[in-house]
Amino acid sequence: MTSQLGKAPRQLPVIRACSIPRIEMAEELDFQYDPEKNYDEETLAQQKEIEREIVDTQQLVGERVSFDRLIREYAQEDEIYREKIEHLKNLYSCVRKTRGDGNCFYRAFGFAYLEKLLVDRTDVERFKDVVSKSLKVLVGLGFPQFTIEDFHETFLDIVNKVTNHCTHQELIDTFNDQGLSDYIVVYLRLIVSGHLQQEAEFFANFIEGDRTVKEFCNQEVEPMGKESDHIHLKALTDALGVCIRVEYMDRVDTHTCNHINFPEDSKPTIVLLYRPGHYDILYSNADMILFQRNLPK
Amino acid sequence: MSVSVNYTQSPEGIIAGPVNEENFFEWEALIMGPEGTCFEGGVFPARLTFPTDYPLGPPKMKFTCEIFHPNIYPDGRVCISILHAPGDDPMGYETSAERWSPVQSVEKILLSVVSMLAEPNDESAANVDAAKTWRDDRKKFEDIAERTVKKSLGL
Repeated sequence: MTSQLGKAPRQLPVIRACSIPRIEMAEELDFQYDPEKNYDEETLAQQKEIEREIVDTQQLVGERVSFDRLIREYAQEDEIYREKIEHLKNLYSCVRKTRGDGNCFYRAFGFAYLEKLLVDRTDVERFKDVVSKSLKVLVGLGFPQFTIEDFHETFLDIVNKVTNHCTHQELIDTFNDQGLSDYIVVYLRLIVSGHLQQEAEFFANFIEGDRTVKEFCNQEVEPMGKESDHIHLKALTDALGVCIRVEYMDRVDTHTCNHINFPEDSKPTIVLLYRPGHYDILYSNADMILFQRNLPK
Repeated sequence: MSVSVNYTQSPEGIIAGPVNEENFFEWEALIMGPEGTCFEGGVFPARLTFPTDYPLGPPKMKFTCEIFHPNIYPDGRVCISILHAPGDDPMGYETSAERWSPVQSVEKILLSVVSMLAEPNDESAANVDAAKTWRDDRKKFEDIAERTVKKSLGL
C-alpha cells in the first residue's frame, strides 16, 4: 500500500518536529537556543491539543451512517471519491465510523467481528477457543505472562459476554469505554505481534527497511497508535482464522473501489472500508437484515 | 494495572518500588552509576510517576539529585525514547529507537536508563550544555560527573 495524497480522514498526524536540532546543525544554522524555553513541552502540548480535539469529536466506535452523509465529507469537485462512494452505495447499506487514533483497524475489526457473532453464532465456539488458547501461544513466544494476562482476560471477558448473548448496546458501550476498548486493541496488537514472530521466516520478506521481524513488532505493532498495513491485516486474520474483506477507497483513478479478501480465497464475514490512513466498518443489506432479525433485544 | 518489579526482582544496580503502599502510581528508584563509566560509584535517586492509563501510556522519570547528562533535562527529567509513545517525538528520535508499548516494563525502562548513563546520546540532547561538554570537553564532563557522584554519596 502506498501512501496517497488527498483528503484523508482526520488521523493523528505524526509530528516530526526536532525541537533542538543536532548540535553541529545548531551552530551552522545560527540557532539561538533559549535555555529558559522548553521546546519539548511545547511540541507535546501541541500534539496533546490535536489528540484532545479528535477525542472530543470522534467516538471510538460511532453510529452507523448513510453514504449520503459520507459523501458530504468530500468536495463537490472530488470526482474520484464521489464516484467511488456511489459504487459502494450499490454494494453496501451503511458505514460505521471509528476514531482516527491510529488504532482504528484493530477497533473496527474487533467490534465488527464480535457484533457479527451476536447475530451469527456459527463461529462462536471456535473463536472463543482460539482466544482462550492464544495466551499460552504468546507466553510460549516469550511474552511475560504477568505483563500480558490482563489484556488477555479483558478480551476473553468480552468474547464471553458475546457468547452469553449480551445486548448490542452493551457491545457498543464496551467498545466506547476507553479503558476496555484500548485493552482490546492492545490484545489484538499482541496477537498480530505473536503471529508475525511465529511465522517470522515468511513475514521477514515483507518488512521494509533493515529490521528484524521482532524489531518491526516492537516499533510498528505493539505500541498503541501505530497504524496498520497489509502485513498487520494478514497476521491478525490468519492468527484468529477470521475472513475479512477490505474495500479500498483511495485516489487510484478507477471508477470503483478495489477490494482484497484476507485470506485471499475466503468468504469474508465482515467488511472494512479503507480510506488512506483509516479503517471504518461497512454493512451490506444482508447484514442489516440479519441484525434486524437476530439481534438480542 | 500491572505495575511490577519488586525490590528483590530488580536488575543488578537498581532498586525500585512504590513510595508507599497507598499510592502505586509514584515510585522511587535508586540507580547505581554503571561500572567503568564516569558515573561509577554514584547512587542516583529518581522518581517514577505512572499515568492513570498505565500501561497504555508510559511513566515519567525524573532524577531528584544533581546530574549533568546530555539526555537528562537540567530539572532532572529523563528523555529517552522508551519513555515516549510512537509519534510522540519531541527529540526527533530515529524510527528504529525502542518506544513505549504496553508490553514494556519498569525493569526495561530502568535498564535503558542505566545504559543511557553509560552511553550518552548527544544527538538528541535534553541538556545542550551537557551534550556539548560531553562531545567537546570530555575531561570537564568527567570532572562534573565525579563531583555529582561524590555529592550523591553525601561526600
